[in-house]
Amino acid sequence: MQVKLKVKRFDPESGEEPYYQQYSVEMPETATVLDALIEVREYHDGSLSLRCSCRSAICGSCAMRINGRARLACKTSVRSLAEEGEEILVEPAGNMPTIKDLVADMAPFWDKVRAVKPWLQPSGPPPEREYVVPNEAMQALGEVMNCIMCGACVSDCTSLEVDKTFLGPAALAKAWRFVGDPRDAQDLSRLREYSEPSGIWDCTRCNICVQVCPKDVKPMDQILKLRAAAVHEGIRNNNGSRHTLAFVELVNANGRLDEFRLPIFTEGKFNIIGQLSYLPSAPRMIRSGKMPPVFPHKISGVKHVKRIFKQFGEREPGPAKLVSAGGH
Amino acid sequence: MAVFQHDVLIIGAGLAGMRAGLSAQAAGADVAIISKVHPVRSHSNAAQGGINAAVDEDDTWEDHAFDTVKGSDYLGDQDAIEVLCSEAGGEVLALERMGVIFHRDETGHLGSRAFGGQQRARTYFVGDITGQALLHVMYEQLIKQGLRIYEEWFVTELIVEDGSCKGAVVIDITSGQMHVIGAKAVIMATGGAGRVYEPSTNALICTGDGISLAYRAGAPMMDMEMVQFHPTTLKGSGVLITEGARGDGAYLINADGDRFMEKYAPNMMELASRDVVSRSEQTEINEGRGVDGCVFLDMRHLGMDLIRERLWQIREIGIDFVGVDIVKEPIPILPGMHYIMGGIKTDVWGRTPLDGLYAAGETACVSVHGANRLGANSLLDTIVFGKRSGYDAAERSKNGHATMPGEDYAVEGEKKIRALLDRPLNGDRVAKIRLDLGKVMNEKVQVFRNEDQLKSALEDVRALKKRYDTVGVEAKGKVFNTDLLFHIELGFMLECAEMVCLSSIERKESRGAHYRVDYPTRDDANWLHHITCSYTPGGPQLGTAPVTITRWEPQERKY
Amino acid sequence: MRYAFWPGCVSKGAAPELYTSMVRVAPELGIELVELYDGNCTGAGVISEHSMETADALNARNFAMAQRLDLPLMNICSTCQGVQSMAQNRMRKNSKLAEEINLTLAEEGLHYDAEAGLDVKNFLWVLVEDYGLDRLKSMIKKPLTGLKAGPFYGCYILRPEPILGFDEHPDRDKYLEFVIEALGATLITYEGQDKCCGFPILTINKQNSLTMAANHLSEAQQEGADCLVTPCPLCHLNLDAQQPDAAKYASVNGLEVPILHLPQLIGLALGISPEELRVNRHVVSSRKVLAALSS
Repeated sequence: MQVKLKVKRFDPESGEEPYYQQYSVEMPETATVLDALIEVREYHDGSLSLRCSCRSAICGSCAMRINGRARLACKTSVRSLAEEGEEILVEPAGNMPTIKDLVADMAPFWDKVRAVKPWLQPSGPPPEREYVVPNEAMQALGEVMNCIMCGACVSDCTSLEVDKTFLGPAALAKAWRFVGDPRDAQDLSRLREYSEPSGIWDCTRCNICVQVCPKDVKPMDQILKLRAAAVHEGIRNNNGSRHTLAFVELVNANGRLDEFRLPIFTEGKFNIIGQLSYLPSAPRMIRSGKMPPVFPHKISGVKHVKRIFKQFGEREPGPAKLVSAGGH
Repeated sequence: MAVFQHDVLIIGAGLAGMRAGLSAQAAGADVAIISKVHPVRSHSNAAQGGINAAVDEDDTWEDHAFDTVKGSDYLGDQDAIEVLCSEAGGEVLALERMGVIFHRDETGHLGSRAFGGQQRARTYFVGDITGQALLHVMYEQLIKQGLRIYEEWFVTELIVEDGSCKGAVVIDITSGQMHVIGAKAVIMATGGAGRVYEPSTNALICTGDGISLAYRAGAPMMDMEMVQFHPTTLKGSGVLITEGARGDGAYLINADGDRFMEKYAPNMMELASRDVVSRSEQTEINEGRGVDGCVFLDMRHLGMDLIRERLWQIREIGIDFVGVDIVKEPIPILPGMHYIMGGIKTDVWGRTPLDGLYAAGETACVSVHGANRLGANSLLDTIVFGKRSGYDAAERSKNGHATMPGEDYAVEGEKKIRALLDRPLNGDRVAKIRLDLGKVMNEKVQVFRNEDQLKSALEDVRALKKRYDTVGVEAKGKVFNTDLLFHIELGFMLECAEMVCLSSIERKESRGAHYRVDYPTRDDANWLHHITCSYTPGGPQLGTAPVTITRWEPQERKY
Repeated sequence: MRYAFWPGCVSKGAAPELYTSMVRVAPELGIELVELYDGNCTGAGVISEHSMETADALNARNFAMAQRLDLPLMNICSTCQGVQSMAQNRMRKNSKLAEEINLTLAEEGLHYDAEAGLDVKNFLWVLVEDYGLDRLKSMIKKPLTGLKAGPFYGCYILRPEPILGFDEHPDRDKYLEFVIEALGATLITYEGQDKCCGFPILTINKQNSLTMAANHLSEAQQEGADCLVTPCPLCHLNLDAQQPDAAKYASVNGLEVPILHLPQLIGLALGISPEELRVNRHVVSSRKVLAALSS
């Protein structure tokens, strides 16, 4: 089939702005976008630069934006995107500078991975043999270990788009790989660090990372696990965890959300400065008749809601704990 | 243009390279690793099934060693195999303590799976992403230790002065600048040469760089005729399907639905060693019991739970690349080029005969794999000999030479690159020559070999070398000029191919992966030795090296 | 057409105009809504940060009420939609969890059959899939000719696709466009229409939150939108109530983009007066909308 590509080109040596170039190549029906790009590079235009290596979605080299969404070119079949003759838009990964053409500068990506102290930190003398842990605990980490650090999630992260300091989905998923590992003993200090500004609480839960991840790592879910663990460990000196706790407290009390008290509780009940920061919007909302009721509506079945909180609410595990460092 | 200096320079950042780096640093050396890709993009990722070791108390390293010796068809050096297997248990446990999330048994201790060519299950694994899991954990350790990495730098040649290897000439791919890195010891850990074949399970970066660089620098190669065809590579793309699938109970079936391995290896069935299984499949296909050049791997009976826990990536690959869900359908596979047992000749400390040069991993030939590598021994090879070469290189660097190479090498290197870029375009393309090479090798230097075909392959390769000498580079820029790199890589590949052809013609017997239709039996009287290749300006000079036998005398090999 | 109706906390709290417009529009369309007055908060993805199981149990309680009525469940909030779909998915996959939750629900005589499941649909999906765009068109009394409207979906009604039924309904990320055009308005599209509005981090990182809102609003205004329409009241809160504060992060001067709730836009096309639809009860004045419609 004839595959039409519209590729974003950029050559820093030329002094020119990025531009789009169209290519048309004959490919088999089963071709991936990477196959088509390689065909271009090898037989039509040797100046086109991109990274690729394994062709089977394990090396993480070829993450780029294809039709506006971050994907691995090697895992994206042409057929899944375009009918014969339809153009496919190929651009470098987002939220990172571009070195040339489809090659993104991943230095900021790796800086953030390094920032989460991504290595196992057990405590005490190491065992003579292996750490003894249940298979389920290892399997539970399979999801994050599946991460190939391709940067697709970072490319499309909506928080990073407005704030380059955010640690981002890949680094934080990597962080859960340690907090969730029963062999790691630094959960508390890790969670404290990850709870700092630009950390776990800056994720908007927009789900883009879950959507674009080619390896089903679900980075956002790992961030939510970090949040739960941080709350569980009593790290509450930030608006993020206070927001979660306030939300829980208010729904538990009324069965529904009490939007009047939520921001007040989030800033801290006695944090006058924090509460004042909501003042500009409050009069506006009152003027337009949108102020949430000061006395919240309580649903009649609130006792049942309380029962659910009681039964399930305290059960969520914090960070994984080591079973035994003993050998056989 | 700059000159950098380190005690130990490691070329390649896959498992062998990173392990070497960590061990050299632990031994007190100032270490740098240079890699043409970011470390986690390395091809070690592709090892799926696991890593072998006698870890269980009722297993012994001697049993593992015997399986490895037998697997090698007695061409492996038994002193090296003893090192490999006796250190395996400790290394696997050390990997666990570094953080690898190995599969556990019901008691929470390491749990294993069965792999081909071994009498018992001693393959430790992380689902079907073991290589990836190891590689990423090794990289975690690299970050922890703060090792210097020259990332996306490419080596164009080794520097040899006064008979010693003293560093490398390099291109920083991102800027296009050339530099010199001087070192008291250089460790080559660049992986294999799989792309010499088309198709191959190997990543596009596996272009035999280290083998060729070391060869040009004067280090001899060994066992280059020994090319492993993996029994289960995916139809079309040639993507690898782990042996772990068969270890976990998958069947091989032909067009009639028969488990044909009953005929060829009645005891071990699908878990006979790789050379045996690949030949059996090829026989089925050649005799008309395949479909479209393939037989099938059948995993339907394994069940969703096992597949979800242990073979999730294989399922993903099947769906993505051939539209087959292994839970519901058998998947079409065929033997495909996977691994090169041969490489830079080293001793058990990774030392090559060229002073100051070391090698480890697939680039090297210790030789622990001999004529056929056992599945899950390759990861082990990278870890054991990566560590040992790193240690020895660090020790050597403590009393190494004082004079370091200067900038001149980069100036010279730049001239060569300039000449290459200035070469006029003649209508031929690097990609065309590469594709022709891959096809020649795949058709003529394959599972079943004969002299006529091999000689014809050699002629073809030499003709391709002539084309290579005049083909130009289309892209002229400095920044990320991959077109230029592919040109240089093709030069490496052609040299590797020539050595594979020559050594294959030379060995007139059938042993392990090297099956000669015209010499169908193993001939210990005449051929129980290694074949070596050394550089001469006129082409590789063949030689021999003895096989070390310690305690396992050659016997007939049956599975 | 009859639905169990979960209005969500916000339409009963900070965005009462959403609730009012929905219950005004439904009978006009011939849709009967049976409100779950005793329903509880879905957790908005926040309670699950505290305890996933609690969040699932709370949602199961609402589902059980709808199942008791033997009616599909309609919500008017993208966030509710996402949270409800995810909870359904987890309980369908984990029968042990569903069983345990049902033990608790049994104490108030409720039971959620997770395997049989329950059709849970945002009003937007109901309109396109159940009601039908042709039927909607036939109900129009005042086509929205001249109004340039842009969509704003809200993350939770778009992602993750596999859990939100995109396999069966691959166009769910285009429904707002379909509706805008069906009502006779001019469709304005812009890059940020399927991104995050910023609301979930408003109290955590206000600057980031407002920058997100500002980016989308600026783009929409540059593309010429008279208004945006959203099926999510949380997006509405950030895009409307915070718009004056977001203006300082905007790339355009004089940021003014009215934000309409989906039922308000429908209601206008049905000929219901703007006052009845409470279109005047927003922080950002709807004068641009009314002007476009009257010209």
